[in-house]
Amino acid sequence: MEDIILKKNEELKKSRVRTFNKRKILKKSTPYTYILPIGILLLSFYVIPIIMSIYFSFTKYNIMTPAKFVGFKNYLNLAQDKMFMASLKNTIIYTVGVVPLQTSIALLMAVWITKREKSRLNELVKGAMFVPVISSMILIGIIWRIFLNGELSPLNMIFTYVGLNTPNWIGDTKLALPTLMGISIWKNVGYFMVIYISALMDIPKSYYESARVDGANKLHEFFYITVPLLKPTTIMVVFLGCIWSLQTFDLVYTLTGGGPGVSTMTMVLHIYNLVFKQFRAGYAMAVANVLFLLIAIISIFQRKLLQRDKSIY
Amino acid sequence: MKSIKRIIGNIILLMIASCMIVPFVYMVITSFKITYTAYNFDFSLSDITLQNYITIIRDTNFVHYFLNSLFIAISGVVLNVLFSSLAGFAFAKKEFPGNEKLFFFMIMTLIIPSQVTMIPLYIIMRQLGWINSYFALILPIPTAFGVFLMRQAILNIPNDLIDSARIDGCSDIRIFFQIVVPLIKPAIITLTIFTFIGAWNEFLWPLIVTTNDSVRTLTVGLSSLNAQYTVNYGLVMAGSTLTFLPSFIIYLILQKRFVEGVTLSGIKG
Repeated sequence: MEDIILKKNEELKKSRVRTFNKRKILKKSTPYTYILPIGILLLSFYVIPIIMSIYFSFTKYNIMTPAKFVGFKNYLNLAQDKMFMASLKNTIIYTVGVVPLQTSIALLMAVWITKREKSRLNELVKGAMFVPVISSMILIGIIWRIFLNGELSPLNMIFTYVGLNTPNWIGDTKLALPTLMGISIWKNVGYFMVIYISALMDIPKSYYESARVDGANKLHEFFYITVPLLKPTTIMVVFLGCIWSLQTFDLVYTLTGGGPGVSTMTMVLHIYNLVFKQFRAGYAMAVANVLFLLIAIISIFQRKLLQRDKSIY
Repeated sequence: MKSIKRIIGNIILLMIASCMIVPFVYMVITSFKITYTAYNFDFSLSDITLQNYITIIRDTNFVHYFLNSLFIAISGVVLNVLFSSLAGFAFAKKEFPGNEKLFFFMIMTLIIPSQVTMIPLYIIMRQLGWINSYFALILPIPTAFGVFLMRQAILNIPNDLIDSARIDGCSDIRIFFQIVVPLIKPAIITLTIFTFIGAWNEFLWPLIVTTNDSVRTLTVGLSSLNAQYTVNYGLVMAGSTLTFLPSFIIYLILQKRFVEGVTLSGIKG
């Protein structure tokens, strides 16, 4: 009888030790199992592709047949590629044109709306400005194509009514890119306005009150209190705006297809055409890496600016 | 004086608001009209017809595209919310070697634009035989943004709450589902909206990985509709209206959460 009890005890002890160890290992490894699923997805859909992109950019590759290593040839060819140079130029013009405008419109609108007394109209404007934000770029492209085109399209009707010539919005080499830029600002400005509004809410009212006591007028308030305190938000808004502009594709694809001529060719559209129309995937990845480099530089710049800015607070 | 200024302000604001909305109003009105050319449109509300909607539903694959988009967006949401919150839980409440480094590494993937990775991704999907499959459309939806969002939300949960549950003998996974998840509902809703709208509006990637109609999404379908019926504006606008409607309804219902998400997304990158 005693023997059995002792044996049982022994067994119990052993099993306890075993489960204890098991539990310890389990406990230690659980965090990793929680991270694993998304980790695998991010690894296979972001990290591995970017490594592949760097490797293939040094090859001649059409996806169908094996890649052939060609060294820096693709990158050296970039400078002679007229389409690439045009797309780089357009993308940069697009970004440089869109970002300051949409940032300042968003800021001014946000300041104006938060300064006003609360009213239904404010809410309506906020809501209205967000409508383009939630719809897809492809939809926006389609709506505007019809909205702009033809003598009797709504916009041209207004132009005719006022007595102006109706411009060929997307058919004119000089006008096509600015038109696209305008549409893109129209779509995104509500997004950035909302970011600014929430940042404005965080500025203590007492700052303005004490400034007013010191004799500051509205312009002083704006430039000496609002703008400096919004600096981190502005850095973020500019950064996001730059990245979105650099990645422009959907709008160009539906509205102009890069034309007329090469006047609206963007980098992403060029990449798309290279791979799926000309089957030059290796070369396309060299173009893609230039785009990535641009974006990486901007992100590093943003991080540096924000880090320096933290010292203020 | 002040009231005049106010009235002028109101008028300007109303004009801005209408600039934002008029193209959409135009879209909806046109969708109810038979307009075979660009030259016979006006803003009048006569000759209203449902013909465009009937045609689009009966004669094109639009309903199929719609269901595809819905399926892809919902699966993407489930995947993203589940995986992100699990990872966020580990990063926020667990101590393990490499916690911060892994998190930083994950966040770094946010600066990689999907347009740059699309060609290698296409090659990977080809190798896997996933071109024209839902896998290719759904699996790339989650991003590190969700992990970031969830980690921030879970960090705010008091440790005592989790510890006391553990003392009561609650298992890890039960703590996660019964304590953590209910407490981060707002963040989950925000992530849900963002993932849904993102997946619903995505165009380039579905355009690349779908070559046949069976898995094609609404945006790609709409774009080909646009190319096919270049003169039948009414039909294209009916398609656009149907594409726009789901995200618009979600927006109307969850406006506040939307704004929250936008504010948070600023941290992205």
